[in-house]
Amino acid sequence: MKHETIETNVGWLIILTMIVISIGGLVEIIPLYFIKDTIETVKVDGKDTVHPYTPLELRGRDIYMREGCYLCHSQMIRPFRDENIRYGHYSLAAESRYDHPFQWGSKRTGPDLARVGGKYSNEWHLQHLVNPRDVVPESIMPSYPWLTEPLKFNAINDRLKALKATGVPYSQTQEEYQANVERFGKPTADMLDINNAEQNLIDQAQDGNYDGNRNDITEADALIAYLQSLGTMVDFSKFEEGYFAKFR
Amino acid sequence: MANSTAQVEQYNYDIVRKFTIMALVWGVLGMTAGLYIGSELAWPLLNFDIPQITFGRLRPVHTTLVIFGFGGSALFATSYYIVQRTCQTRLFSDGMATFTFWGWQISVGVAAISYMMGYTQAREYAEMVWPIDILIAVTWVAYLVIYVMTLRKRSQPHIYVANWFFIAFILATAILHIFNNLAVPISLFSLTSYSLQAGVQDAMTQWWYGHNAVGFFLTAAFLGMMYYFVPKQAGRPVYSYRLSIIHFWALVFLYMWVGAHHLHWTALPDWTSTLAATFSILLLMPSWGGMINGIMTLSGAWDKLRTDPVIRFLIVALSFYGMSTFEGPLMSLKSVNALSHYTDWTIGHVHSGALGWVAMITFGSLYHLIPRLWETRMYSNKLIYLHFWLATIGIVIYISAMWVAGIGQGLMLRAFDQYGNLAYTFIETVNFLHEPYVARALGGLFFVLGIIVMTFNTFMTIRQGRREQALLEAKLAAKLAQA
Amino acid sequence: MTEFFDWFTHLENTKPFVLVLFFVTFILIVLYVFTGKKRSQRLESYKNIPLNDDEADHHKDLNHE
Repeated sequence: MKHETIETNVGWLIILTMIVISIGGLVEIIPLYFIKDTIETVKVDGKDTVHPYTPLELRGRDIYMREGCYLCHSQMIRPFRDENIRYGHYSLAAESRYDHPFQWGSKRTGPDLARVGGKYSNEWHLQHLVNPRDVVPESIMPSYPWLTEPLKFNAINDRLKALKATGVPYSQTQEEYQANVERFGKPTADMLDINNAEQNLIDQAQDGNYDGNRNDITEADALIAYLQSLGTMVDFSKFEEGYFAKFR
Repeated sequence: MANSTAQVEQYNYDIVRKFTIMALVWGVLGMTAGLYIGSELAWPLLNFDIPQITFGRLRPVHTTLVIFGFGGSALFATSYYIVQRTCQTRLFSDGMATFTFWGWQISVGVAAISYMMGYTQAREYAEMVWPIDILIAVTWVAYLVIYVMTLRKRSQPHIYVANWFFIAFILATAILHIFNNLAVPISLFSLTSYSLQAGVQDAMTQWWYGHNAVGFFLTAAFLGMMYYFVPKQAGRPVYSYRLSIIHFWALVFLYMWVGAHHLHWTALPDWTSTLAATFSILLLMPSWGGMINGIMTLSGAWDKLRTDPVIRFLIVALSFYGMSTFEGPLMSLKSVNALSHYTDWTIGHVHSGALGWVAMITFGSLYHLIPRLWETRMYSNKLIYLHFWLATIGIVIYISAMWVAGIGQGLMLRAFDQYGNLAYTFIETVNFLHEPYVARALGGLFFVLGIIVMTFNTFMTIRQGRREQALLEAKLAAKLAQA
Repeated sequence: MTEFFDWFTHLENTKPFVLVLFFVTFILIVLYVFTGKKRSQRLESYKNIPLNDDEADHHKDLNHE
């Protein structure tokens, strides 16, 4: 075939351009689904410790996305000494395997949040969200006083079902529930049951008492529950030194 | 107005005019939003505790309005103009062209409002909720059909190279948009959805999209613009047509590989990001092929630099294109990226491309286009000079501030004291950033003032064109009455 | 199918493979574009397309006036 044919024929121009632009993406994206080591195996006593978000944490994550937190906070610790000291162990692929979409971020106007869970108290978080400068005087983060408004969670079942459709192991049938008990243990499997989602959400908000008020369920309850869960699912003391390095 | 009637028959300029005006409208709005969020980082008070205007919600408004509103409308305008002129045929289907206009403007406008209301997919540069994604996809298919059908009925045997770039841009954008936005809505009546992919695979897909939005939307398409307007304004043909063929194929092939350089040192497997870094270095060649071709085209017209402000926009655009396509491969090296990633250096790099290359080549092209669309001269040449200096000074301040901010913060974060402890807390680096952020806001202010001057100049030009046309018609009527 | 993709994941395979693939194609295009005097002339003649469109306009104007 002569190049002249390509130049003078729109059809050929389109076909060849399509081929040329497809190669790069195909070679880099498709293997990520086939190579087992892309996502690390994180099992303690035969159970997966990385599990999907509870209904309340999921709603918190929705708020995290709504407010565009990902534009200033990353959730991806890199394997450097300074980041190790500042934030903790480098992030594993497994830790974001249920993140639809991923929240690794691209800019740290504020610090990384991949392991912020458990670092600060609930009271600190609430104060910091309502007015960051109360606890960090030099902070440039916006204040979020409206997070103390009641949380909407009537669509929580639809949300979990949509995520289930993408492959997140929330359970609807008895078999699915049993499979989750096998995989994550009973306490976690109970939280992943779509049939009890609403009750689970209410219970967690009241037990956790994230916003310092047990009577109402606010957006702050959900967001703080989410923040407190970040980076807590892998207990690195349970793994041998260098175990995760071999997946890299 | 014999002249204009003839052109109405020959070409569809009406659609080009519409998109040109909207490019300026979105440009002013989007760049003002950018100035505002930049100022919020310098003075957080500006968030005013109003949800709709906090940084996190306004930032997608800024990126969407400037990339898709300003850049997109400018590309629709110039590509519709170029395809008609280089094929010497009228655009295929006026009705479909009008549909692409409304489809695009509604998508951009509704997207901006929805972000402020808190509806977002939380995917950078693809935040539009799923119904808008569908509208964009439909609009884009119409665009492809119009473009291909116009090319098919051309009266020239050869397809001019600018159109190759536009075709590659339309095809690539379609693929990227569709695959990156695959999602499951929580119900048919909800704007909320969850992306189909998660974690590593999702990150790779998103940055394959994100970087190729830069590669095809903000580079290939604007090269198409360059390949028409630079020769036109310089009054001489492009330096080497053969070079344009080579760098076209190399560019469209290489760009698709490099997205993963946004994910160096992350949980993405090493082989992927190393591959991306390798191709990023290779990408320097075709990028500079385009730059050299453009600059050599202008090189015979240096004398015009003194008399023609439009040429100045074009030469500065090409210089910044060369600069940022050198900086890009540099930043894709894993060792450099370890410092630059997550800092304002990236923001500076994006803006040297977006302001220096994309916006400047657009301004130059529109200054060429506007007098021809409204059949008059530009209202004021002096205001074009003013715009040029405001824009150029603005970019230089902006980029320098971001270099200081990014490299400074990167070095502070990795500094250790003599005992092996971290030398600075995170908040100390935030403190350090205040001054560069103020300088950046100032640079942004210059740039925004520039486009406001341009919009005023364009408004006056259109008025002048209408007045001249009315005058001509009156004369013609008088003549007819006499006869 | 999986083995096929696995092969790509080894950098020692992928790097030379893509380099050779890209380079050969690139050289072929360069050779095509820059060899043959007639072909070169033909290709370079296309660069006047944007500059010729004014003439077409001009003729139209003259016809009308």
